[in-house]
Amino acid sequence: MLTIAGVAWACADEGYDLLAYSAFAPEYFVNKQYSPFFYEGDRAYYNEYNNDNDDANTRYNESVVTEWYDHFNRQFEKSPLAFLLLKAGPGAIDSAYRNYKGTLTKKQVSAFFNYLQLAKKCEAFTVNDQYSSWEKVRPLPVPEGLESTLLGAFDEETDPFIKERLWFQLVRYYYFRESGETADSQSLAIFNKYSGQFPKDLTYYRAMGYVAGYYYHRKNYALSNYLYSLGYDYAYEMKIPSKWSFHPQEEKDWKATLQMAKTGNEKITLWHMLGMQYDAGRAIKEIAAINPKSDKLDLLLSRVINIREAEGFEWTPGINDSLKRGDGNDKHLIEIIASKNNTAKPYFWNLAAGYLNFLDSNYTAAGKFYAAAKKQLPAADRRVMAQYKLLDLMLYVKKLKRIDARVEAQLVEPLNWLADLRDNKTKVNDLRFEKALGECADGIAKLYHQQKEPIKSTCFKNAINFYLDSARVENLINLLNKPDKTPFERVMARYYPYKVDDLYQHQATLLVYKEELDKAISYLKKMKPGHLTLPGNPFNSRLNDCHDCDHEAPQAQKFTLLSFVQTLQCIKVEMKAGKHVYRNALLLANAYYNITYYGNARLFYESNIMSNSDAYPTFIDAKYRDKFTAMKFAARYYQYALKNAATNEQRASCTFMLSKCERNVYYNHKYAEASRSKGYYYGNELPPAGKYFAALKSKYAGTAYYREVLQECGYFKHYISKK
Amino acid sequence: MILLIFGISCKKNSTATIAFYYWKSGFQLNSQQVALVQQTALNQVYIRFFDVNWNKEQHRAYPNAVVLFSQPLGGLHITPVIYIANKTFENSSDMTIDSLAIHCNILVNRLAGEQHMTYTRVQVDCDWSLTTRDKYFSFLSAFKKLNHHQLQATIRLHQVKYKERTGIPPVDRGVLMFYNMGKLNADLHQPNSIYNEADAAKYVSYLKAYPLPLDLALPLFSWSVQLRDNKVIQVYGKIGRTQLNNPGDFETVAGENNYRARRSFFLAGIYVKQNDVFKLEETTANSLNTAAKQLAENLPKQQNRTIIYYELANIDLSEFNAETFKQVSDHF
Repeated sequence: MLTIAGVAWACADEGYDLLAYSAFAPEYFVNKQYSPFFYEGDRAYYNEYNNDNDDANTRYNESVVTEWYDHFNRQFEKSPLAFLLLKAGPGAIDSAYRNYKGTLTKKQVSAFFNYLQLAKKCEAFTVNDQYSSWEKVRPLPVPEGLESTLLGAFDEETDPFIKERLWFQLVRYYYFRESGETADSQSLAIFNKYSGQFPKDLTYYRAMGYVAGYYYHRKNYALSNYLYSLGYDYAYEMKIPSKWSFHPQEEKDWKATLQMAKTGNEKITLWHMLGMQYDAGRAIKEIAAINPKSDKLDLLLSRVINIREAEGFEWTPGINDSLKRGDGNDKHLIEIIASKNNTAKPYFWNLAAGYLNFLDSNYTAAGKFYAAAKKQLPAADRRVMAQYKLLDLMLYVKKLKRIDARVEAQLVEPLNWLADLRDNKTKVNDLRFEKALGECADGIAKLYHQQKEPIKSTCFKNAINFYLDSARVENLINLLNKPDKTPFERVMARYYPYKVDDLYQHQATLLVYKEELDKAISYLKKMKPGHLTLPGNPFNSRLNDCHDCDHEAPQAQKFTLLSFVQTLQCIKVEMKAGKHVYRNALLLANAYYNITYYGNARLFYESNIMSNSDAYPTFIDAKYRDKFTAMKFAARYYQYALKNAATNEQRASCTFMLSKCERNVYYNHKYAEASRSKGYYYGNELPPAGKYFAALKSKYAGTAYYREVLQECGYFKHYISKK
Repeated sequence: MILLIFGISCKKNSTATIAFYYWKSGFQLNSQQVALVQQTALNQVYIRFFDVNWNKEQHRAYPNAVVLFSQPLGGLHITPVIYIANKTFENSSDMTIDSLAIHCNILVNRLAGEQHMTYTRVQVDCDWSLTTRDKYFSFLSAFKKLNHHQLQATIRLHQVKYKERTGIPPVDRGVLMFYNMGKLNADLHQPNSIYNEADAAKYVSYLKAYPLPLDLALPLFSWSVQLRDNKVIQVYGKIGRTQLNNPGDFETVAGENNYRARRSFFLAGIYVKQNDVFKLEETTANSLNTAAKQLAENLPKQQNRTIIYYELANIDLSEFNAETFKQVSDHF
């Protein structure tokens, strides 16, 4: 509903949910390869908790299995293969070897299983699954003896596929053994000696990653970063670790790295890596000059947009007009590139230029770029078309000066579409529609408010003051009940967050506070049966206000809203007819006491529409606060009961209840004061004892009730002892 | 007259002792640092043993950056320090506080045991807030019950001034952190946020009424605040005047402590974007003396106060030497 953005904030584990600030989905424009680097606030990687590629121990698992599967020409079933490669220990490998009954040759099988046993030995020191923990970190020693075994196996191996993997194991083995501490590295030596013999595949680049790590330890940042950029470019699996390791230190390192790039594409990768971590604008400019069609531009552009959205977002809900402007440089650059229309996806650049202008409140410029994008859109791409529609709608609403029948007719379709997305009646994967939904509804509500059309305004943005005027509420009820709604009225009903029953209940409760019980009953009767039950008996009173005690107390009869008001009505009629006047007046007084903030039936006024009214009185809107805290009805009936009481016990009890009302009036005054000064009132000083304490003391000191009060009420005891 | 004599004799016979914090995770001192610790601090070092952070993924508290001793501790007298990020208590449930105390105690003792180190006190550093106060304090009580040694907790200035609201931690001794008193912000004319007399003045008058005996933590560090588009991006200890005093890369703006980048470039592993401003905030021997004087005038009398300097691993020995520390001690 309209509060969807609020829900998103509340759900965010830390920081803010991107759906609260973002309306632009990078998924639609950027190659999935780069998805870990989509912008998501302070998260290291996009969707990081669902990204298994962020685990150094497992990120290559799938590729490794596929490589072997292909190596065996799919003659070794994939799931046992995966088990052997990823999970099996030496015993399981041995047993699998002895029991192998497949179609591979004996030579193939023994080569594989021999390699497997060696590889597992290497994993003992390379796979580190010790994350942060209170336990002692186990050192993972690199066994000296493994060197000769690996070298021997490598020398003897004739199968180039396995030989390459043994080479990788050797490079890695030495890397771990040396920990970057020797200039004369055997890891580097063995990489260099044999690297020409093997194809430039994932194993090759993984081996090269250790060489890059070696250079990093040796503080040769220029070369290290260059090698990391090659790994980054080669494979998806290598992107996170390569990006993680890419750290130019001084400007001369960075310049030297750029010098090492052999091709335009290598240069582009370097700028791309600088761009995503440090300076997207500068990188975009450099890459566009080399190859404006490079897909490495797309990620950077998406990051400029998403970062701009986050920076500009005002984190205080409801304030959307104080959007901060970007520094303008990146936007200007993107406008220039968009205008050239020479990129791989010109519509992406035009949408971006338009949206960045939209975020800067330059709606004319935004419209111009959207218009250019519209002509270039891939009509068959449903997701891109949805993105365009979303941005276009947000701009359309922002540009509206007033809403007339013509505009309403135009809004019907897109507003229904947004509501369908919200209600899951239609789905566009990854579309970030929540912000648009909130902003469009807010904008429309604001215009209607200016146009003095409160019902329409409230449908799009609920405002509590609307419900003070019961005639207006009645009109809204009629609208919601109207069988032949116009298409726009149907839209209004979809955006209005409450149901007719909520409105009936609201009208009824306010009528009870006006003592118009007949009318209240007629509203409650219109509600669907099965509505809520009051948790305590609203006709009871007690010395101290203890709602939980009342709610837990055994109750012969439970009251629904309707049965409560009907009972109230019966009691009133009986009292007016002169029957059991004292008892009935007391019941009425208790009921009116209990349906205030101080009583056991707060639920009475805590309707959906008055949501939050359960909070502290200071937080209840002032116009409603008086109704929900006022003591006038309760006090009036307690007075009446007192007047008609037959015994001093009865009189004592009425007097004490009146003293409670008197104190609550004092509190109400304090709450109102605190609310006016936007502060709080904690009730930390005692209210004046008042005239009813005096009466209780002077007139009823002989009653049993008096002794009960002394027992229960510390303040009264204090009052007595003081005087 | 008598008072005057007493005052003078007090200065001459300072009972304050000196110590240093060591905050890096790899413990290794060079010969100059060893000499400084021997000469000025009677070998007293407060070593940060580990941090405790909240692990979002696993929803529990874990130690982080556990100290690694790369050299024997020799004759050093070590006080273990635990830094606990306030987030830990924001996220931990009441039920897990005791087990956090158990874990911390075991880890402190394990690390000390591995170095054959004995210690007589433990310091806990946490910038607790109103919402985490109860959990933090129950952690301290639980830890004290397990650990039995003297327990100290760091105290920030605002916790002194608003002690009724922030509460007094249940420890044997407080350590007043007399630095980081201003908020980091992008205002180029804002006084030094590490220490400035005017900001400190808003708090120091409350020191006399603070009920815990207080040791002092004083700063030896400088840093620069990186600003971009008038927003604070990051704070760097490794970017100082040496790096910034480079007219080819930076020009000064709005006073001699603010440096604007003339171009985009890498510097000490940091990306500097054209027009970024680095706001330099330095601690000097002079400002340290001012701070000490201001403190001495406002603290209640106390024998054997320890002054712990932050910190040893990144100390600039060209600015601070044994004489500086002696001068500071003479105020107490």
